Amino acid sequence: MYRSILLAAFVYGLLLTGLIALRGEFIALAIPFMLYLLYGFWSAPEEMDLRIERSLSNDRTTPDSEIVVTITVTNHGSDIEELFLNDNIPPNLTVRIGSPRHLFRLPKGSSHTFTYTVTGPRGSYPFETISVAAVDLFGVNRHEQFIRAKDRLFIFPEFRRLKHVSIRPRRTRVYAGSIPARVGGSGTEFFGVREYQFGDSPRTINWRVSARHDENLYSNEYQQERVADVGLVLDARTRANLLHHNQSIFESSVTAIAALSDAFLNQGNRVGLLVYGNYLGWTLPGYGKIQRERIMQALAHAEIGVSSVFAGLEHLSPRMFPPESQIVLVSSLVNDDLNVLVQLRGRGYQVLVISPDPVKFELGFLPPSSQVNLAARVIRMERDLLIHRLERAGIHVIEWDVSIPLDQAVGPVLMRQRRVL
Amino acid sequence: MTLTALISSIVICSISLAYGFALRGFTSFAIWILIFGVGWLIAVWQEWKWYTPVALFLATVAAAFGLWFGFIPGWMFAGGIFALFAWDMSDFRQRLRLMAKDDDTRGIERRHLLRISLLAMLGLFLASITMLVNVQFTFEWKALLVIVILLGLGQLVGWLKR
Repeated sequence: MYRSILLAAFVYGLLLTGLIALRGEFIALAIPFMLYLLYGFWSAPEEMDLRIERSLSNDRTTPDSEIVVTITVTNHGSDIEELFLNDNIPPNLTVRIGSPRHLFRLPKGSSHTFTYTVTGPRGSYPFETISVAAVDLFGVNRHEQFIRAKDRLFIFPEFRRLKHVSIRPRRTRVYAGSIPARVGGSGTEFFGVREYQFGDSPRTINWRVSARHDENLYSNEYQQERVADVGLVLDARTRANLLHHNQSIFESSVTAIAALSDAFLNQGNRVGLLVYGNYLGWTLPGYGKIQRERIMQALAHAEIGVSSVFAGLEHLSPRMFPPESQIVLVSSLVNDDLNVLVQLRGRGYQVLVISPDPVKFELGFLPPSSQVNLAARVIRMERDLLIHRLERAGIHVIEWDVSIPLDQAVGPVLMRQRRVL
Repeated sequence: MTLTALISSIVICSISLAYGFALRGFTSFAIWILIFGVGWLIAVWQEWKWYTPVALFLATVAAAFGLWFGFIPGWMFAGGIFALFAWDMSDFRQRLRLMAKDDDTRGIERRHLLRISLLAMLGLFLASITMLVNVQFTFEWKALLVIVILLGLGQLVGWLKR
Protein backbone atom coordinates (compact mmCIF):
# COMPACT_ATOMS: atom_id res chain seq x y z
CA MET A 1 0.00 0.00 0.00
CA TYR A 2 2.68 2.47 1.03
CA ARG A 3 4.66 1.70 -2.10
CA SER A 4 1.74 2.42 -4.40
CA ILE A 5 0.99 5.69 -2.56
CA LEU A 6 4.61 6.74 -2.81
CA LEU A 7 4.73 5.98 -6.53
CA ALA A 8 1.40 7.72 -7.16
CA ALA A 9 2.72 10.79 -5.34
CA PHE A 10 5.82 10.77 -7.53
CA VAL A 11 3.79 10.45 -10.71
CA TYR A 12 1.35 13.21 -9.79
CA GLY A 13 4.15 15.41 -8.55
CA LEU A 14 6.01 15.15 -11.84
CA LEU A 15 2.85 15.60 -13.93
CA LEU A 16 1.74 18.65 -11.98
CA THR A 17 5.21 20.16 -12.11
CA GLY A 18 5.28 19.56 -15.86
CA LEU A 19 1.92 21.26 -16.24
CA ILE A 20 2.79 24.21 -14.06
CA ALA A 21 6.20 24.71 -15.65
CA LEU A 22 4.91 23.86 -19.12
CA ARG A 23 7.84 21.44 -19.56
CA GLY A 24 7.27 18.07 -21.23
CA GLU A 25 10.46 16.64 -19.73
CA PHE A 26 8.81 16.18 -16.38
CA ILE A 27 5.94 14.29 -17.93
CA ALA A 28 8.45 12.16 -19.84
CA LEU A 29 10.25 11.42 -16.57
CA ALA A 30 6.93 10.41 -15.02
CA ILE A 31 6.33 7.76 -17.70
CA PRO A 32 8.57 4.98 -16.22
CA PHE A 33 6.98 5.53 -12.80
CA MET A 34 3.53 5.40 -14.36
CA LEU A 35 4.36 2.20 -16.21
CA TYR A 36 5.65 0.63 -13.02
CA LEU A 37 2.51 1.60 -11.14
CA LEU A 38 0.17 0.51 -13.92
CA TYR A 39 1.89 -2.84 -14.31
CA GLY A 40 1.61 -3.33 -10.56
CA PHE A 41 -2.13 -2.64 -10.65
CA TRP A 42 -2.62 -4.72 -13.77
CA SER A 43 -0.93 -7.76 -12.25
CA ALA A 44 -2.50 -7.19 -8.82
CA PRO A 45 -3.78 -10.41 -7.25
CA GLU A 46 -7.54 -10.81 -7.15
CA GLU A 47 -9.44 -12.09 -4.16
CA MET A 48 -7.64 -15.17 -2.93
CA ASP A 49 -9.41 -18.50 -2.91
CA LEU A 50 -6.97 -20.74 -1.12
CA ARG A 51 -7.47 -24.01 0.66
CA ILE A 52 -4.84 -24.73 3.28
CA GLU A 53 -4.42 -27.98 5.13
CA ARG A 54 -2.05 -28.52 8.00
CA SER A 55 -1.19 -31.92 9.41
CA LEU A 56 1.03 -32.89 12.30
CA SER A 57 3.02 -36.11 12.22
CA ASN A 58 1.93 -36.67 15.83
CA ASP A 59 -0.32 -34.52 17.96
CA ARG A 60 0.70 -36.11 21.26
CA THR A 61 4.35 -36.38 22.00
CA THR A 62 7.05 -35.93 24.60
CA PRO A 63 9.47 -33.03 25.15
CA ASP A 64 12.18 -32.56 22.53
CA SER A 65 10.61 -35.04 20.13
CA GLU A 66 10.49 -33.82 16.57
CA ILE A 67 7.07 -33.15 15.04
CA VAL A 68 6.82 -32.78 11.30
CA VAL A 69 4.26 -30.17 10.24
CA THR A 70 3.07 -30.52 6.66
CA ILE A 71 1.22 -27.69 4.96
CA THR A 72 -0.51 -28.00 1.63
CA VAL A 73 -1.94 -24.94 -0.02
CA THR A 74 -4.15 -25.18 -3.10
CA ASN A 75 -5.10 -22.21 -5.22
CA HIS A 76 -8.71 -22.27 -6.45
CA GLY A 77 -8.59 -18.63 -7.56
CA SER A 78 -6.50 -16.76 -10.12
CA ASP A 79 -2.72 -16.93 -10.56
CA ILE A 80 -0.69 -15.52 -7.70
CA GLU A 81 2.73 -14.21 -8.66
CA GLU A 82 4.14 -14.23 -5.15
CA LEU A 83 2.39 -15.89 -2.26
CA PHE A 84 3.95 -15.38 1.12
CA LEU A 85 2.73 -17.92 3.63
CA ASN A 86 3.56 -17.87 7.32
CA ASP A 87 2.34 -20.55 9.68
CA ASN A 88 1.95 -18.76 13.01
CA ILE A 89 3.52 -21.30 15.32
CA PRO A 90 2.84 -20.99 19.04
CA PRO A 91 5.54 -19.44 21.18
CA ASN A 92 7.95 -21.84 22.94
CA LEU A 93 7.99 -24.18 19.97
CA THR A 94 11.32 -24.19 18.17
CA VAL A 95 11.71 -24.81 14.47
CA ARG A 96 14.44 -27.38 14.07
CA ILE A 97 14.37 -28.20 10.37
CA GLY A 98 12.87 -26.13 7.56
CA SER A 99 10.88 -22.95 7.93
CA PRO A 100 7.22 -22.08 8.61
CA ARG A 101 7.55 -19.14 6.20
CA HIS A 102 7.62 -19.62 2.48
CA LEU A 103 7.40 -17.45 -0.61
CA PHE A 104 6.45 -19.05 -3.88
CA ARG A 105 4.49 -18.63 -7.08
CA LEU A 106 1.13 -20.38 -7.15
CA PRO A 107 -0.62 -20.62 -10.51
CA LYS A 108 -4.36 -21.20 -10.71
CA GLY A 109 -5.41 -24.75 -9.76
CA SER A 110 -1.98 -25.76 -8.51
CA SER A 111 -0.91 -26.68 -5.04
CA HIS A 112 2.28 -26.40 -3.04
CA THR A 113 3.38 -28.53 -0.11
CA PHE A 114 6.12 -27.89 2.36
CA THR A 115 7.17 -29.31 5.68
CA TYR A 116 9.04 -28.13 8.71
CA THR A 117 9.95 -29.74 11.99
CA VAL A 118 9.25 -28.33 15.42
CA THR A 119 10.15 -29.34 18.90
CA GLY A 120 9.40 -27.90 22.31
CA PRO A 121 9.05 -28.33 26.04
CA ARG A 122 6.02 -29.73 27.86
CA GLY A 123 2.88 -27.81 27.04
CA SER A 124 -0.25 -27.47 25.00
CA TYR A 125 0.28 -25.65 21.75
CA PRO A 126 -2.67 -24.44 19.69
CA PHE A 127 -2.05 -23.75 16.02
CA GLU A 128 -4.69 -21.21 15.06
CA THR A 129 -4.13 -19.37 11.81
CA ILE A 130 -1.90 -19.24 8.80
CA SER A 131 -1.25 -15.79 7.41
CA VAL A 132 -1.04 -15.48 3.65
CA ALA A 133 -0.17 -12.47 1.58
CA ALA A 134 -0.48 -12.32 -2.18
CA VAL A 135 1.75 -9.73 -3.82
CA ASP A 136 2.06 -8.65 -7.43
CA LEU A 137 5.45 -8.97 -9.03
CA PHE A 138 6.52 -5.44 -8.08
CA GLY A 139 5.05 -5.48 -4.61
CA VAL A 140 2.72 -2.57 -5.39
CA ASN A 141 -0.42 -4.39 -4.22
CA ARG A 142 -0.63 -6.70 -1.30
CA HIS A 143 -3.65 -8.75 -0.18
CA GLU A 144 -3.33 -10.20 3.29
CA GLN A 145 -5.53 -12.80 4.85
CA PHE A 146 -5.57 -14.98 7.93
CA ILE A 147 -6.81 -18.47 7.19
CA ARG A 148 -8.02 -20.56 10.10
CA ALA A 149 -6.37 -23.95 10.29
CA LYS A 150 -6.86 -25.23 13.79
CA ASP A 151 -4.66 -27.88 15.26
CA ARG A 152 -3.35 -28.63 18.70
CA LEU A 153 -0.11 -30.22 19.73
CA PHE A 154 0.21 -31.70 23.18
CA ILE A 155 3.66 -32.29 24.57
CA PHE A 156 3.12 -34.53 27.54
CA PRO A 157 5.66 -34.99 30.35
CA GLU A 158 8.03 -37.84 29.78
CA PHE A 159 8.15 -40.38 32.58
CA ARG A 160 9.34 -43.88 33.37
CA ARG A 161 6.60 -46.24 34.40
CA LEU A 162 6.22 -47.32 37.99
CA LYS A 163 5.49 -51.03 38.27
CA HIS A 164 3.21 -50.85 41.25
CA VAL A 165 2.26 -48.30 43.89
CA SER A 166 0.90 -49.71 47.10
CA ILE A 167 -1.72 -47.67 48.87
CA ARG A 168 -4.19 -48.57 51.53
CA PRO A 169 -7.03 -46.08 51.91
CA ARG A 170 -9.69 -46.69 54.54
CA ARG A 171 -12.47 -46.86 52.03
CA THR A 172 -12.45 -48.58 48.67
CA ARG A 173 -14.93 -48.78 45.85
CA VAL A 174 -17.09 -51.82 45.08
CA TYR A 175 -15.20 -52.99 42.00
CA ALA A 176 -12.47 -55.60 42.16
CA GLY A 177 -8.97 -54.23 42.06
CA SER A 178 -5.62 -54.59 43.72
CA ILE A 179 -5.99 -52.62 46.94
CA PRO A 180 -6.70 -54.52 50.16
CA ALA A 181 -10.22 -53.51 51.19
CA ARG A 182 -10.10 -54.49 54.91
CA VAL A 183 -13.13 -56.71 54.17
CA GLY A 184 -13.20 -60.49 54.15
CA GLY A 185 -14.08 -62.34 50.97
CA SER A 186 -12.31 -63.78 48.01
CA GLY A 187 -8.78 -62.62 47.55
CA THR A 188 -5.21 -63.75 47.91
CA GLU A 189 -4.12 -62.42 51.31
CA PHE A 190 -5.21 -64.18 54.48
CA PHE A 191 -7.75 -62.11 56.43
CA GLY A 192 -9.18 -64.35 59.14
CA VAL A 193 -11.12 -67.48 60.07
CA ARG A 194 -14.88 -67.84 60.37
CA GLU A 195 -17.43 -70.60 60.70
CA TYR A 196 -17.90 -72.71 57.63
CA GLN A 197 -20.91 -71.59 55.62
CA PHE A 198 -22.87 -73.46 53.06
CA GLY A 199 -21.31 -72.90 49.65
CA ASP A 200 -17.75 -72.43 50.91
CA SER A 201 -15.22 -74.35 48.90
CA PRO A 202 -13.79 -77.36 50.78
CA ARG A 203 -10.37 -75.97 49.88
CA THR A 204 -10.96 -72.99 52.20
CA ILE A 205 -11.62 -75.15 55.27
CA ASN A 206 -8.98 -74.54 57.90
CA TRP A 207 -8.54 -78.09 59.18
CA ARG A 208 -6.27 -77.17 62.05
CA VAL A 209 -8.76 -74.77 63.60
CA SER A 210 -11.66 -77.13 62.82
CA ALA A 211 -9.82 -79.98 64.58
CA ARG A 212 -9.87 -78.01 67.82
CA HIS A 213 -13.66 -77.67 67.69
CA ASP A 214 -15.95 -80.68 67.75
CA GLU A 215 -19.16 -79.17 66.46
CA ASN A 216 -18.24 -76.79 63.63
CA LEU A 217 -15.96 -76.50 60.70
CA TYR A 218 -14.03 -73.28 60.07
CA SER A 219 -13.04 -71.66 56.79
CA ASN A 220 -10.23 -69.29 55.93
CA GLU A 221 -11.30 -65.88 54.83
CA TYR A 222 -9.25 -63.78 52.47
CA GLN A 223 -9.04 -60.05 52.14
CA GLN A 224 -11.01 -58.58 49.27
CA GLU A 225 -9.03 -56.48 46.83
CA ARG A 226 -10.81 -53.56 45.26
CA VAL A 227 -10.15 -50.34 43.45
CA ALA A 228 -9.97 -47.05 45.29
CA ASP A 229 -10.36 -43.34 44.81
CA VAL A 230 -7.05 -41.58 44.46
CA GLY A 231 -6.77 -37.81 44.47
CA LEU A 232 -3.49 -36.55 43.06
CA VAL A 233 -2.48 -33.05 44.05
CA LEU A 234 0.21 -31.22 42.13
CA ASP A 235 1.66 -28.30 44.03
CA ALA A 236 2.14 -25.55 41.44
CA ARG A 237 2.71 -22.67 43.84
CA THR A 238 5.67 -20.53 42.87
CA ARG A 239 6.88 -20.33 46.49
CA ALA A 240 7.14 -24.11 46.63
CA ASN A 241 8.77 -24.56 43.24
CA LEU A 242 10.83 -21.60 42.20
CA LEU A 243 14.29 -21.67 43.72
CA HIS A 244 17.66 -20.01 43.22
CA HIS A 245 18.17 -18.15 39.92
CA ASN A 246 14.68 -19.07 38.69
CA GLN A 247 15.51 -22.77 38.67
CA SER A 248 12.29 -24.66 39.07
CA ILE A 249 11.69 -28.07 40.57
CA PHE A 250 8.21 -28.09 39.07
CA GLU A 251 9.04 -30.23 36.04
CA SER A 252 10.11 -33.03 38.38
CA SER A 253 6.79 -32.79 40.23
CA VAL A 254 4.89 -32.96 36.93
CA THR A 255 6.87 -36.05 35.93
CA ALA A 256 6.08 -37.67 39.27
CA ILE A 257 2.36 -36.98 38.91
CA ALA A 258 2.39 -38.40 35.38
CA ALA A 259 4.09 -41.60 36.56
CA LEU A 260 1.79 -41.95 39.58
CA SER A 261 -1.42 -41.36 37.63
CA ASP A 262 -0.30 -43.90 35.07
CA ALA A 263 0.40 -46.46 37.78
CA PHE A 264 -2.85 -45.87 39.67
CA LEU A 265 -4.95 -45.99 36.51
CA ASN A 266 -3.22 -49.17 35.41
CA GLN A 267 -4.23 -50.70 38.72
CA GLY A 268 -7.85 -49.87 37.89
CA ASN A 269 -8.33 -47.06 40.39
CA ARG A 270 -10.44 -43.98 39.97
CA VAL A 271 -8.02 -41.08 39.77
CA GLY A 272 -8.56 -37.32 39.88
CA LEU A 273 -6.02 -34.52 39.64
CA LEU A 274 -5.88 -31.14 41.30
CA VAL A 275 -3.31 -28.63 40.11
CA TYR A 276 -2.87 -26.22 43.00
CA GLY A 277 -1.22 -23.04 41.76
CA ASN A 278 -2.61 -19.62 40.99
CA TYR A 279 -5.97 -21.34 40.52
CA LEU A 280 -7.41 -24.77 41.21
CA GLY A 281 -7.21 -26.89 38.08
CA TRP A 282 -9.45 -29.83 38.80
CA THR A 283 -9.66 -32.91 36.62
CA LEU A 284 -12.68 -34.89 37.81
CA PRO A 285 -11.99 -38.46 38.91
CA GLY A 286 -12.32 -41.20 36.34
CA TYR A 287 -11.01 -44.54 35.15
CA GLY A 288 -8.99 -45.89 32.30
CA LYS A 289 -7.38 -44.58 29.17
CA ILE A 290 -9.68 -41.61 28.70
CA GLN A 291 -8.88 -40.41 32.21
CA ARG A 292 -5.17 -40.89 31.52
CA GLU A 293 -5.56 -38.65 28.47
CA ARG A 294 -7.43 -36.02 30.52
CA ILE A 295 -4.77 -36.03 33.20
CA MET A 296 -1.96 -35.82 30.67
CA GLN A 297 -3.68 -32.86 28.99
CA ALA A 298 -4.06 -31.16 32.38
CA LEU A 299 -0.38 -31.79 33.06
CA ALA A 300 0.55 -30.38 29.66
CA HIS A 301 -1.25 -27.17 30.63
CA ALA A 302 0.08 -27.06 34.20
CA GLU A 303 2.37 -24.20 35.11
CA ILE A 304 3.52 -22.56 38.29
CA GLY A 305 1.72 -19.46 39.45
CA VAL A 306 1.50 -16.94 42.24
CA SER A 307 -1.74 -16.19 44.00
CA SER A 308 -2.32 -14.55 47.34
CA VAL A 309 -5.48 -16.65 47.69
CA PHE A 310 -3.75 -19.96 47.08
CA ALA A 311 -0.47 -19.15 48.81
CA GLY A 312 -1.16 -21.82 51.43
CA LEU A 313 -2.84 -25.19 51.06
CA GLU A 314 -5.97 -24.07 53.03
CA HIS A 315 -8.09 -24.37 49.90
CA LEU A 316 -7.30 -28.05 49.58
CA SER A 317 -10.84 -28.76 50.54
CA PRO A 318 -11.90 -32.24 51.73
CA ARG A 319 -15.05 -31.81 49.63
CA MET A 320 -12.93 -32.29 46.54
CA PHE A 321 -12.04 -35.84 47.43
CA PRO A 322 -14.30 -38.77 48.33
CA PRO A 323 -14.32 -39.44 52.10
CA GLU A 324 -11.50 -41.57 53.46
CA SER A 325 -9.87 -41.92 50.06
CA GLN A 326 -6.21 -41.76 49.18
CA ILE A 327 -4.61 -38.37 48.60
CA VAL A 328 -1.19 -38.20 47.00
CA LEU A 329 0.45 -34.79 47.19
CA VAL A 330 3.55 -34.05 45.16
CA SER A 331 5.14 -31.00 46.71
CA SER A 332 8.50 -29.81 47.92
CA LEU A 333 6.55 -28.63 51.03
CA VAL A 334 6.71 -25.35 52.89
CA ASN A 335 6.30 -24.98 56.63
CA ASP A 336 2.71 -23.68 56.48
CA ASP A 337 1.56 -26.91 54.86
CA LEU A 338 1.80 -28.90 58.09
CA ASN A 339 -1.57 -27.97 59.60
CA VAL A 340 -3.57 -28.50 56.43
CA LEU A 341 -2.09 -31.93 55.82
CA VAL A 342 -2.60 -32.98 59.41
CA GLN A 343 -6.24 -31.86 59.20
CA LEU A 344 -6.74 -33.95 56.06
CA ARG A 345 -5.26 -36.93 57.84
CA GLY A 346 -7.55 -36.24 60.79
CA ARG A 347 -10.57 -36.41 58.49
CA GLY A 348 -9.69 -39.97 57.62
CA TYR A 349 -7.80 -39.52 54.37
CA GLN A 350 -4.71 -41.54 53.74
CA VAL A 351 -2.16 -38.95 52.76
CA LEU A 352 1.01 -39.79 50.90
CA VAL A 353 3.45 -36.98 50.17
CA ILE A 354 6.13 -37.35 47.56
CA SER A 355 8.44 -34.48 48.15
CA PRO A 356 11.10 -33.52 45.60
CA ASP A 357 14.05 -32.48 47.74
CA PRO A 358 14.56 -28.73 47.14
CA VAL A 359 17.70 -28.57 49.28
CA LYS A 360 19.67 -31.05 47.20
CA PHE A 361 18.25 -29.56 44.02
CA GLU A 362 19.26 -26.03 44.91
CA LEU A 363 22.69 -27.06 46.19
CA GLY A 364 23.44 -28.29 42.69
CA PHE A 365 23.27 -24.70 41.44
CA LEU A 366 25.17 -23.00 44.24
CA PRO A 367 28.93 -22.67 44.50
CA PRO A 368 30.29 -24.77 47.36
CA SER A 369 31.24 -22.59 50.33
CA SER A 370 31.01 -22.74 54.09
CA GLN A 371 28.09 -20.26 54.13
CA VAL A 372 26.15 -22.30 51.59
CA ASN A 373 26.81 -25.49 53.54
CA LEU A 374 25.70 -23.86 56.78
CA ALA A 375 22.53 -22.52 55.17
CA ALA A 376 21.84 -25.93 53.66
CA ARG A 377 22.23 -27.57 57.06
CA VAL A 378 19.81 -25.12 58.68
CA ILE A 379 17.22 -25.59 55.95
CA ARG A 380 17.74 -29.33 56.04
CA MET A 381 17.04 -29.39 59.78
CA GLU A 382 13.86 -27.33 59.31
CA ARG A 383 12.74 -29.66 56.57
CA ASP A 384 13.54 -32.79 58.56
CA LEU A 385 11.53 -31.38 61.45
CA LEU A 386 8.57 -30.71 59.18
CA ILE A 387 8.72 -34.21 57.72
CA HIS A 388 9.07 -35.71 61.18
CA ARG A 389 5.93 -33.86 62.35
CA LEU A 390 4.02 -35.03 59.31
CA GLU A 391 5.03 -38.62 59.87
CA ARG A 392 4.02 -38.43 63.50
CA ALA A 393 0.57 -37.41 62.27
CA GLY A 394 0.42 -40.58 60.16
CA ILE A 395 1.31 -38.98 56.86
CA HIS A 396 3.79 -40.92 54.84
CA VAL A 397 6.41 -38.65 53.31
CA ILE A 398 8.83 -39.90 50.69
CA GLU A 399 11.73 -37.62 49.91
CA TRP A 400 12.90 -37.68 46.34
CA ASP A 401 16.30 -36.59 45.12
CA VAL A 402 15.26 -35.39 41.68
CA SER A 403 18.66 -36.09 40.17
CA ILE A 404 17.65 -39.77 40.26
CA PRO A 405 14.66 -40.89 38.16
CA LEU A 406 11.49 -41.42 40.18
CA ASP A 407 11.20 -45.13 39.47
CA GLN A 408 14.70 -45.74 40.79
CA ALA A 409 14.61 -43.27 43.68
CA VAL A 410 11.22 -43.94 45.22
CA GLY A 411 9.78 -46.79 43.17
CA PRO A 412 10.91 -49.52 45.61
CA VAL A 413 9.59 -47.50 48.58
CA LEU A 414 6.24 -47.04 46.90
CA MET A 415 5.99 -50.78 46.29
CA ARG A 416 6.80 -51.55 49.94
CA GLN A 417 4.39 -49.07 51.35
CA ARG A 418 1.75 -51.70 51.92
CA ARG A 419 3.68 -52.87 54.96
CA VAL A 420 4.59 -49.39 56.15
CA LEU A 421 1.09 -47.97 56.36
CA MET B 1 21.70 -12.01 -8.45
CA THR B 2 19.38 -9.50 -6.77
CA LEU B 3 22.18 -7.90 -4.79
CA THR B 4 24.30 -7.54 -7.93
CA ALA B 5 21.37 -5.93 -9.75
CA LEU B 6 20.72 -3.64 -6.78
CA ILE B 7 24.32 -2.46 -6.50
CA SER B 8 24.65 -2.06 -10.28
CA SER B 9 21.48 0.03 -10.47
CA ILE B 10 22.63 2.31 -7.63
CA VAL B 11 26.03 2.76 -9.30
CA ILE B 12 24.48 3.46 -12.73
CA CYS B 13 21.93 5.86 -11.25
CA SER B 14 24.56 7.85 -9.36
CA ILE B 15 27.09 7.91 -12.21
CA SER B 16 24.46 8.88 -14.81
CA LEU B 17 23.21 11.79 -12.76
CA ALA B 18 26.69 12.88 -11.73
CA TYR B 19 27.98 12.66 -15.29
CA GLY B 20 24.99 14.60 -16.61
CA PHE B 21 25.59 17.36 -14.08
CA ALA B 22 29.37 17.34 -14.58
CA LEU B 23 28.97 17.75 -18.36
CA ARG B 24 27.28 21.09 -17.74
CA GLY B 25 29.95 22.25 -15.29
CA PHE B 26 28.15 21.45 -12.04
CA THR B 27 31.15 19.51 -10.74
CA SER B 28 30.57 20.10 -7.06
CA PHE B 29 26.94 19.02 -7.44
CA ALA B 30 28.15 15.91 -9.29
CA ILE B 31 30.47 15.08 -6.38
CA TRP B 32 27.56 15.39 -3.97
CA ILE B 33 25.55 13.04 -6.16
CA LEU B 34 28.40 10.53 -6.05
CA ILE B 35 28.58 10.88 -2.26
CA PHE B 36 24.83 10.29 -2.16
CA GLY B 37 25.37 7.11 -4.26
CA VAL B 38 28.05 5.89 -1.88
CA GLY B 39 25.66 6.62 1.00
CA TRP B 40 23.01 4.51 -0.71
CA LEU B 41 25.46 1.63 -1.04
CA ILE B 42 26.33 1.96 2.64
CA ALA B 43 22.60 1.97 3.41
CA VAL B 44 22.23 -1.31 1.54
CA TRP B 45 25.14 -2.76 3.48
CA GLN B 46 23.87 -1.46 6.84
CA GLU B 47 20.24 -2.24 5.97
CA TRP B 48 18.91 1.26 6.59
CA LYS B 49 15.46 0.74 5.13
CA TRP B 50 14.49 4.42 5.41
CA TYR B 51 17.25 5.48 3.03
CA THR B 52 15.87 3.87 -0.14
CA PRO B 53 12.63 5.92 -0.53
CA VAL B 54 14.57 9.07 0.38
CA ALA B 55 17.20 8.16 -2.21
CA LEU B 56 14.52 7.58 -4.84
CA PHE B 57 13.01 10.97 -4.07
CA LEU B 58 16.36 12.75 -4.20
CA ALA B 59 17.39 11.02 -7.43
CA THR B 60 14.07 11.90 -9.08
CA VAL B 61 14.33 15.50 -7.93
CA ALA B 62 17.91 15.67 -9.23
CA ALA B 63 16.81 14.22 -12.58
CA ALA B 64 13.89 16.65 -12.74
CA PHE B 65 16.20 19.60 -12.02
CA GLY B 66 18.58 18.38 -14.66
CA LEU B 67 15.78 18.26 -17.19
CA TRP B 68 14.59 21.70 -16.05
CA PHE B 69 18.01 23.20 -16.69
CA GLY B 70 18.28 21.49 -20.05
CA PHE B 71 20.96 18.91 -19.28
CA ILE B 72 21.33 15.93 -21.60
CA PRO B 73 18.01 14.10 -21.02
CA GLY B 74 19.44 10.60 -21.56
CA TRP B 75 21.59 10.79 -18.41
CA MET B 76 18.77 12.27 -16.39
CA PHE B 77 16.29 9.61 -17.50
CA ALA B 78 18.84 6.90 -16.81
CA GLY B 79 19.35 8.36 -13.31
CA GLY B 80 15.62 8.42 -12.57
CA ILE B 81 14.86 5.00 -14.02
CA PHE B 82 17.76 3.26 -12.31
CA ALA B 83 16.77 4.91 -9.02
CA LEU B 84 13.34 3.33 -9.50
CA PHE B 85 15.06 0.03 -10.39
CA ALA B 86 17.19 0.19 -7.22
CA TRP B 87 14.17 1.05 -5.07
CA ASP B 88 12.32 -1.96 -6.47
CA MET B 89 15.33 -4.25 -6.01
CA SER B 90 15.76 -3.13 -2.45
CA ASP B 91 12.17 -4.07 -1.58
CA PHE B 92 12.43 -7.30 -3.54
CA ARG B 93 15.53 -8.21 -1.57
CA GLN B 94 13.59 -7.77 1.66
CA ARG B 95 10.87 -10.09 0.35
CA LEU B 96 13.42 -12.68 -0.71
CA ARG B 97 14.65 -12.88 2.87
CA LEU B 98 11.31 -14.40 3.80
CA MET B 99 11.94 -17.32 1.49
CA ALA B 100 12.95 -20.66 2.90
CA LYS B 101 16.01 -22.49 1.64
CA ASP B 102 13.96 -24.95 -0.36
CA ASP B 103 11.87 -22.28 -2.12
CA ASP B 104 12.43 -21.53 -5.78
CA THR B 105 14.41 -18.36 -5.12
CA ARG B 106 16.18 -18.47 -8.48
CA GLY B 107 12.91 -18.73 -10.42
CA ILE B 108 11.30 -15.81 -8.62
CA GLU B 109 14.46 -13.71 -8.98
CA ARG B 110 14.72 -14.49 -12.67
CA ARG B 111 11.08 -13.61 -13.39
CA HIS B 112 11.28 -10.42 -11.38
CA LEU B 113 14.50 -9.22 -12.96
CA LEU B 114 13.23 -9.99 -16.43
CA ARG B 115 10.04 -8.00 -15.96
CA ILE B 116 11.59 -5.03 -14.20
CA SER B 117 14.32 -4.85 -16.86
CA LEU B 118 11.75 -4.92 -19.66
CA LEU B 119 9.71 -2.30 -17.88
CA ALA B 120 12.74 -0.06 -17.35
CA MET B 121 13.68 -0.38 -21.02
CA LEU B 122 10.13 0.37 -22.11
CA GLY B 123 10.05 3.38 -19.79
CA LEU B 124 13.34 4.64 -21.16
CA PHE B 125 12.14 4.08 -24.72
CA LEU B 126 8.83 5.86 -24.20
CA ALA B 127 10.51 8.74 -22.39
CA SER B 128 13.02 9.09 -25.26
CA ILE B 129 10.21 9.00 -27.81
CA THR B 130 8.39 11.70 -25.85
CA MET B 131 11.51 13.83 -25.92
CA LEU B 132 12.02 13.23 -29.64
CA VAL B 133 8.43 14.01 -30.52
CA ASN B 134 8.73 17.18 -28.39
CA VAL B 135 4.99 17.77 -28.07
CA GLN B 136 4.02 21.39 -27.76
CA PHE B 137 1.90 22.27 -24.73
CA THR B 138 -1.20 23.58 -26.43
CA PHE B 139 -4.28 24.56 -24.45
CA GLU B 140 -6.04 21.32 -25.49
CA TRP B 141 -3.14 19.21 -24.21
CA LYS B 142 -3.11 21.03 -20.91
CA ALA B 143 -6.87 20.60 -20.50
CA LEU B 144 -6.62 16.90 -21.31
CA LEU B 145 -3.78 16.41 -18.84
CA VAL B 146 -5.64 18.28 -16.09
CA ILE B 147 -8.74 16.12 -16.66
CA VAL B 148 -6.67 12.93 -16.64
CA ILE B 149 -4.88 13.96 -13.44
CA LEU B 150 -8.11 14.91 -11.69
CA LEU B 151 -9.77 11.66 -12.73
CA GLY B 152 -6.76 9.72 -11.57
CA LEU B 153 -6.68 11.55 -8.25
CA GLY B 154 -10.38 10.83 -7.78
CA GLN B 155 -9.79 7.15 -8.45
CA LEU B 156 -6.86 7.08 -6.08
CA VAL B 157 -8.82 8.76 -3.26
CA GLY B 158 -11.76 6.40 -3.83
CA TRP B 159 -9.46 3.41 -3.78
CA LEU B 160 -7.74 4.57 -0.60
CA LYS B 161 -11.14 5.12 1.09
CA ARG B 162 -12.11 1.52 0.31
